[in-house]
Amino acid sequence: MRHRVHAGYTLLLPLGAERVKAAAAWLAGAALPFDRCGSTHFATITILDADEYRKQPLPATLLFATSFCGPADAHVDELVQAMGSELRELFANCERFSATHDLAEFITKNRHSDCFYSGMQNIAPDDVSRHAKLREVIEQWLGAGNITGTAVKVRARIQEFVRSRDDLKWALEPDRVAPGTWIAMHWRTLTIVATLVPIAGLSIAGLFYHPAIVGAVWLAVVLLVVAVVFSIRLSEDEQTYVSTRQPDEKVRALAATQNRPVINEFVIAGRIKEEGVMRPMVLRAALWLVAWLVQGIPRWRTPIEIPTVATARWIAADRGRRLIFISNYTNAAEAYVRDFIDFPTGARDINISFGFGRGYPKTRWILNGGAATDPNAFAYVVGEHQRPAAYWYRGPNANLSIDNIRLNRQIRAGLVGTLAEREAQEWLHLL
Amino acid sequence: MAPSAMTDVLETDDIQGLVVRGYGTLHAARFLLLELTNPDAARRYIAGAISRVNRASESPADVALQLAFTARGLNQLGISEPILGTFSREFIEGMADSVRAESLGDIGANAPDAWRWGRANIHAMVMVYATSATIDEHVGHELAELAGGFRVVHEQRTTHLPDHKEHFGWRDGLSMPTIDGVPSRGHHDHPPKPSWTTPLAPGEFVLGYRNEYGVQSESPTVVLASDPTNQLPYTGDRTHKDLGRNGTYLVYRQYTQHVQALWRALASNTTDAEAAIVLGTKMVGRWPNGAPILDADHDDPAKATNNEFHYGTADHNDRVGLKCPIGAHVRRANPRDQLAPDRTGSDSIAMVRKHQMIRRGRPYGRPVSETMDPHELLTAPADREDRGLHFICLVGQINRQFELVQRSWLHSANFNGLFKDGDSISAVRVRDANANDEFTVPCEPVRKKYKALPAFTQLVGGAYFFLPSIAALRFIARAPASR
Repeated sequence: MRHRVHAGYTLLLPLGAERVKAAAAWLAGAALPFDRCGSTHFATITILDADEYRKQPLPATLLFATSFCGPADAHVDELVQAMGSELRELFANCERFSATHDLAEFITKNRHSDCFYSGMQNIAPDDVSRHAKLREVIEQWLGAGNITGTAVKVRARIQEFVRSRDDLKWALEPDRVAPGTWIAMHWRTLTIVATLVPIAGLSIAGLFYHPAIVGAVWLAVVLLVVAVVFSIRLSEDEQTYVSTRQPDEKVRALAATQNRPVINEFVIAGRIKEEGVMRPMVLRAALWLVAWLVQGIPRWRTPIEIPTVATARWIAADRGRRLIFISNYTNAAEAYVRDFIDFPTGARDINISFGFGRGYPKTRWILNGGAATDPNAFAYVVGEHQRPAAYWYRGPNANLSIDNIRLNRQIRAGLVGTLAEREAQEWLHLL
Repeated sequence: MAPSAMTDVLETDDIQGLVVRGYGTLHAARFLLLELTNPDAARRYIAGAISRVNRASESPADVALQLAFTARGLNQLGISEPILGTFSREFIEGMADSVRAESLGDIGANAPDAWRWGRANIHAMVMVYATSATIDEHVGHELAELAGGFRVVHEQRTTHLPDHKEHFGWRDGLSMPTIDGVPSRGHHDHPPKPSWTTPLAPGEFVLGYRNEYGVQSESPTVVLASDPTNQLPYTGDRTHKDLGRNGTYLVYRQYTQHVQALWRALASNTTDAEAAIVLGTKMVGRWPNGAPILDADHDDPAKATNNEFHYGTADHNDRVGLKCPIGAHVRRANPRDQLAPDRTGSDSIAMVRKHQMIRRGRPYGRPVSETMDPHELLTAPADREDRGLHFICLVGQINRQFELVQRSWLHSANFNGLFKDGDSISAVRVRDANANDEFTVPCEPVRKKYKALPAFTQLVGGAYFFLPSIAALRFIARAPASR
């Protein structure tokens, strides 16, 4: 039994300048059979234009991003089996790929780190479909008769009905957590512990034998952190460019790509602010920490839940010089942008991630200012860097909002075992 | 002299009166939808009408005139493309734009292709409010005055229904936001966590003032050289003149209401008249006379105007919708503290406060029943009367306020965890993979679902207008050569 931890698989593959048009043309006619990859929730493929950062070139790049559940190597194997020949054709436009490459090895070696948020953790696409089907069938059964009695009795009748259906019996078995889930969810916490414990141990031990050296090392570390922080602070005041209103035709064209009734896709990509040489490094560190926090921290902090977001991913590309954001969300684009800034702490939170992007309104100490004090400019910078993806796979469940998926899952979970009257009634309210 | 740009006290002498009052004592209203035929004559009409336009600072005795323009209309009046380009995108593109229509759910029977008006030739709107006895006289006067410059495309009549009701039989216009900064009402210091009924920052509805984000909404501007006689106020940075200050955007949608169809559906899904009224009340979220179903187990007149309620508080604790269904019209249009189940109530209120509208709608057409008694409405025979609602609202930002509410809260079948529930009262029905024709009433032990509901309204016209300030009206009325 494999775990179903939801994660992002991101490839950033530089394209030869002469291959950009060919790759775009290939994507325009692409029909990739992601539906044969049972671990894939969503996939976004697009081409990032060539750009430059502090006069250094940023190459045109193929962005290949899936959101998947389960072990990464199993996901790669699925991709290779389902669409190996298509991927070879696509990757043939990339500088690092040659026909002799082992495809799985190539994909694995080129995986890029990302900061990934999932609104539907530990659930496979097929689970989502099965849960939806379960709900529909129960709905139909409830609609066919006059249901009365205590909540416990009504729930028992529903269980009995489910048991009578061969295609639904699975729902009466507990949805067990697979081995490896905890590690897949919390490897960042483990990494931090594994790093800090030896450092703390060495420091304590060193205090007994070479206190002056240990003190000097720690003082240097603190001074380095302070220097980095003040460097960023100074660069915030140096910022000269803030995005302005984008051409109406451009915003309208983008809106036209995000008019689907439930799930839509959002891609932003652009270079980061050029003021401050430390920004690329700090961006990468900030995204690593954000990724740690959104996954939750055992015994301290539960994972973050954002009502409208199925997936969100920030990528510090080109060694932190280019920032990419991909999201699959429930809403229309302009309303989605508002979701970030409409409540008091939201704008501050996104300053940490979006705040590094070129044109983002000026921040102070990274967290303050920015979208919180200039929401209009936040909307502008999003419009400036947003682009429709060349290819988007939205899975078999694009008619379900993230709230729907969570409710269906609770219905499935509540079918198992016995519940007291009050708990049974709360469960029935889900239907 | 141009006023300063950052005061939060509204300059009511420069603001059209509709912003602060709905002219409730003037029972008759007529909206003249106009096509411009002669720009010079049209500008002369506007210049002459300014003195008759009711301002927010004056309470009208027996007549009030208001003027509004579409983007095409402003262009026809000589507002240049560069100036027009500083208005909001949604205003410029218009409500009937194909991308926008799809986003708003204006599809199928509600699609602009089938509208009576609003697709092309509406350039201006003259709104005349008067007493029933004098409305014809005042409208006649305006028609005579504007005849040289405009052609009347539609003369929209209105009806006054008893007890502030709309045609379905429910009291309308409750839960109206109040604006801070109206001098006669005093100024309110906002508490750290504003409650639902704390007055909203004036910039939510009037351009040129700070909004609930603490910043000014986008406002149309002109370069300094375009205003040599200093008619318009400066922008905050004094690099431009603010054409939008003291103006607002006006959203107008005309809905026909299929009153007998609604009551037939209520009757066919219930066993008696009282149950039908209760089901209708569940769909609306308030009893016919206005009492919120969250707070009243019967149509209690003492609670008719109660607006001090939240869905998730200890007093009501109706998170699952046992009293007021999640899909009830008033709960969708204003989710208050329950915008999302995993956000705190104060977050939800902070969000909802940024998506409010001042509604100034009026019904039209002969009512099914003069008394508006639900029992009479329930048994009324079908007829061919054209009746409905002129939905009108005022907002500082069309996409953030009207469009977000229309798309994400009212039209979405998946609002707040629902699956196939469009707004029972106003939704156009969709019956494909994203069907929205159900209504769910949470009950114990299990909810009731009403399926395959028909549409009870149809959108037959609409447009986005700009309701300028008095100063902006003077600017618009001047010949283009002098701008």
